[in-house]
Amino acid sequence: MLDLYLPIIVVIGIAFAFAIGSVVFSRLVGVKRYSELKMSPYECGVPPIGNANERFSVKFYLVAVAFIVFDVEVAFLYPWAIMFKQLGWYGAITMGIFIFVLVIGFIYDWKKGALEWE
Amino acid sequence: MAIDFPLLSLLLFMPLAGALVCLVLGMGNSTAPRWVALLTAAGVFVVSLLLCLLQTPTAGWLFYEDYRWIEQFGVRYTLGLDGLSSVLILLTAFLQLLAVLVSWRQERAPGVFFALLLVLEMAAIGVLLALDLILFYLFWELMLIPMFFLIGVWGYQRRFQAAVKFFLYTLIGSLCLLLAVISLYLLHGDQTGTYTFALEALKQTELSTTQELIFFFCFMAAFVVKVPLFPFHSWLPDAHAEGPAAGSVDLAGLLLKTGVYGMIRFAFPLFPVAAQKTLPVLAGLALVGLFYAAWVAYQQVDIKRIVAFSSISHMGFVILGLAAWNQTAWEGSLLLMVNHAITTAGLFVVVAMIEQRTGSRSLDQLGGLWKSHPNMSAFFLLFCMASLGLPGLANFAGEILILIGVFTVKPLWAVIAVGGILFSATYTLRLVQGTLWGNNCEPHDKQDLHSREWLVLIPLAVLVVALGCYPQPVLDLLREPLSALLLVGGMP
Amino acid sequence: MENLVQEAIQNVNLHAVMPSLILSVAGMALLLVAVFSPRGKTAHIAWLSIASLIVAGIVTIMGWNDTQYGFAGSVQLDNFAAFFSMICIIAAGLAILMSDEYLKRENFPVGEYYPLILITTAGAMWMVSGTDLITIFLGLEVLSVSLYILAGFFRDQVRCNEAGLKYFFLGAFSTGFLLYGMALLYGVSGTTKVYDIAAYIQANPDTTTNVMFVAGGLLMLTGFFFKIAAAPFHMWTPDVYQGAPTPITAFMSAGPKAAAFAALIRVTFICLEGMQDHLTTVFWVLAVLTMTVGNLIALNQKDLKRMLAYSSIAHAGYAMVGLVAWNEIGSAGILFYMLVYTFMNMGAFAILILIGRSGEENLTLDGVTGLGYKKPMLGIAFSIFLFALMGLPPTAGFTGKFYIFAGAINSGYIWLAVLGVLNSAVSLYYYLRIMIFMYFKEPQEDYAWVKIYPATAVSIVISVIGVLYLGIVPGSIMQLARMAGF
Repeated sequence: MLDLYLPIIVVIGIAFAFAIGSVVFSRLVGVKRYSELKMSPYECGVPPIGNANERFSVKFYLVAVAFIVFDVEVAFLYPWAIMFKQLGWYGAITMGIFIFVLVIGFIYDWKKGALEWE
Repeated sequence: MAIDFPLLSLLLFMPLAGALVCLVLGMGNSTAPRWVALLTAAGVFVVSLLLCLLQTPTAGWLFYEDYRWIEQFGVRYTLGLDGLSSVLILLTAFLQLLAVLVSWRQERAPGVFFALLLVLEMAAIGVLLALDLILFYLFWELMLIPMFFLIGVWGYQRRFQAAVKFFLYTLIGSLCLLLAVISLYLLHGDQTGTYTFALEALKQTELSTTQELIFFFCFMAAFVVKVPLFPFHSWLPDAHAEGPAAGSVDLAGLLLKTGVYGMIRFAFPLFPVAAQKTLPVLAGLALVGLFYAAWVAYQQVDIKRIVAFSSISHMGFVILGLAAWNQTAWEGSLLLMVNHAITTAGLFVVVAMIEQRTGSRSLDQLGGLWKSHPNMSAFFLLFCMASLGLPGLANFAGEILILIGVFTVKPLWAVIAVGGILFSATYTLRLVQGTLWGNNCEPHDKQDLHSREWLVLIPLAVLVVALGCYPQPVLDLLREPLSALLLVGGMP
Repeated sequence: MENLVQEAIQNVNLHAVMPSLILSVAGMALLLVAVFSPRGKTAHIAWLSIASLIVAGIVTIMGWNDTQYGFAGSVQLDNFAAFFSMICIIAAGLAILMSDEYLKRENFPVGEYYPLILITTAGAMWMVSGTDLITIFLGLEVLSVSLYILAGFFRDQVRCNEAGLKYFFLGAFSTGFLLYGMALLYGVSGTTKVYDIAAYIQANPDTTTNVMFVAGGLLMLTGFFFKIAAAPFHMWTPDVYQGAPTPITAFMSAGPKAAAFAALIRVTFICLEGMQDHLTTVFWVLAVLTMTVGNLIALNQKDLKRMLAYSSIAHAGYAMVGLVAWNEIGSAGILFYMLVYTFMNMGAFAILILIGRSGEENLTLDGVTGLGYKKPMLGIAFSIFLFALMGLPPTAGFTGKFYIFAGAINSGYIWLAVLGVLNSAVSLYYYLRIMIFMYFKEPQEDYAWVKIYPATAVSIVISVIGVLYLGIVPGSIMQLARMAGF
């Protein structure tokens, strides 16, 4: 039973070894020359402004949640669209129910004002 | 005898109906509940008196009711009345009537108070009638709840502790009983295939001696706590001392009796072998309790506690009679139990009256009541004399029967027990001397007995004298049931 | 492809999910009603929720003795599921009855509350009728996610936020255990259907010593133990129960707990039957631990909600005694006990709702001083529930415990019954303490703020009737429990 999983375990092991190994290896072997520019964040030439722990408006979260819901919906809709002919009315009704449930959520979101920015 | 009318259920549910009416009326009018309670208690008394008079001295059930209840478990609603239960029910009904009268002037939440008294009466009657173990257990537990509130709400300063102590002691005992009942039920079911809680059927269960002993101990755990037998007694003085007068009357008259009743109706017949084996232990504890309680009573200052400890001492005597395991001693035990209930109830009532008039229950502060309240003191003296076993008064008849019965089997026990009577004389005399004679205390209420108090005390006094001179009617009722129960025990 | 569609259509059996379908449709519809209603108007939503619960209840009762299989054997609406569904419906109904005025008092009358309760109930029904690990998991998630929101419903109360967040984190954690266990069971047997797993084990008896199988079973049980708040997985209970809105606390302690018990019984009695010898030991230890921990810590509580939370842990321990018995009486005992517990516990919480002031800071032992005199009817009702929780006759608490302990003794676990009885003796003390404060002490306040809300009063009356009915004439319901038991 367990030997079926052996290749997976080997792959996981290799992945870990590679990830850790490359970091450790470069640290051991690499030549380090520090300069002021290198020590600055991101090395991209723009000095940081303000605190990194900035608080986002809750609106972003709402949009993100709404996005995830409709994103997942597409994941379901796509296979159905491909198999549309074969599934026939059964598929159509099932997806209809599915979308209907989502629409209820959508109406709810809308009415609650989750889609309005101001 | 087939009487179609369910008299026993009537007896059982009359107090419950009265309690509900009391509760409802208690919301508005404050004098209505006591009348309802009085009428109900009187009704129950009349019915139980009727049942006693209808009694022919036979061993069988005079009345019997049997209905389906919880079929899955074979639990039935089975009530049965024989001479034994009818005597105790009559006693219960009588004392309850007095308890209502004693607490006539109850100011605090009278509706609830009288409702609780009536529920307690119902539970006690239920215990005395039930022949199905689950039904019995139900009533057994039901007795706790009203008593808990009676002590805890209407008691004195340390009433919380007393109520909780009472509740925990008795409940832990009854939980043992419950476990044993369930185990016995399952054992019987496995043996015979019919699962039932009926007492008569469970008597047929075949048990090994070890099993019997375990079951017997579990049953007795519930009963000895209630009796209470030394060393399970320590809740009783507190419950008495902190409880209201009616509560004390009920404790002494109703609750204690159910413990002994449980033993002779359930524990002994169900497990005769184990009972036989443990009789010496029982007798030993009874004797120790007899002396110990008497000694402690002698040390007390609070007169209510003295009466409470005298109660424990007397119950030791009762248990000693049971342990002798013969007809004479058992009749004596039951008789003493009835008589003790009456005399102790009388004592508690008078103690309550003394406290009302003087505001104290301490022997240090009391004294000289004979001069200021001659009538009350006369009753007190009468009950005290009965309590110490003066011939011609109630307790003597029971005690002498017990002594005779015990002497025929174990002369030594009887000799020791006689010493106990001597002890009881010492503390009772101290009680009488300390309250009635000696230094005059200053009672703030100079009035001697008023009419309601006469009404309470006269029946008690009459009974004390009557049962002392002529206990035959009670013994007639007890004889056949007791000999039947002794026969079931399978011993001579 | 045509065949697949045909098969799928045949396998759909809406009768098998009809009660939960009604509730989820009603939940969605009411969500819309709520959002279109003016703010603060929630009464009509509450009544519509009750109506939908009644319809779902009638449908459930009509399906009694008529087992429905649906969705290729992943749902099985049998008597067992119907009984537990009824418990959840009753719990939800009582919770809704006691909620409306409460929400107004706490100044948070938001309509989404009721649909969430309905959806929780629907999830609970999938859990109790699921015969596929995935269905059970789905039901559990629907139930849990809705409860996370409900537990933290009063978003402006810090205590409530804490409850919601704690419940969410620990719940998510335990769900991880559950899912991992299910995955391992699937890995061993190659199926997620409980009967197929049982059949696989029947065919390969040595599976029961397989490390993966044992680990999977135990991990899955851990997830369930968390939901029923068995010690040592009970840590979340006191904080969550104390902080959550009181009707939700009452609901959580009855409905979802019953559902978790149902799923636990179904999974263990069917899938893990081969591990019975070991599992009874586990259940034995956990049952004793759970009731002892619950009772001992409850002794020292001053806050009533917290005390009832610990008492609810202890009661889960009593119910687990039925699992140890592992027989028909045992499982029927759990069914009966959960029904009894629903009435007595929800009744007690309903009383707390009436006594509480806004914010519920006063729900302590001192807060009920002398209540029995100022509000006699409330006092009597509370006493009845407390006596029932103690397990005294003639209340249902006695018959319930009787049933459970009889099952244990019947299977030969005398000591377990003894420990259970000892635990009931311990529990007396803290229940009595409430009564001592209520009756034995003089009232300090006049309790003028206590208003008897009509709907809450109805829920109390229903609970009182339930407690007394199941205590005095339990025969017919016990018969139903016996028919529903495994």
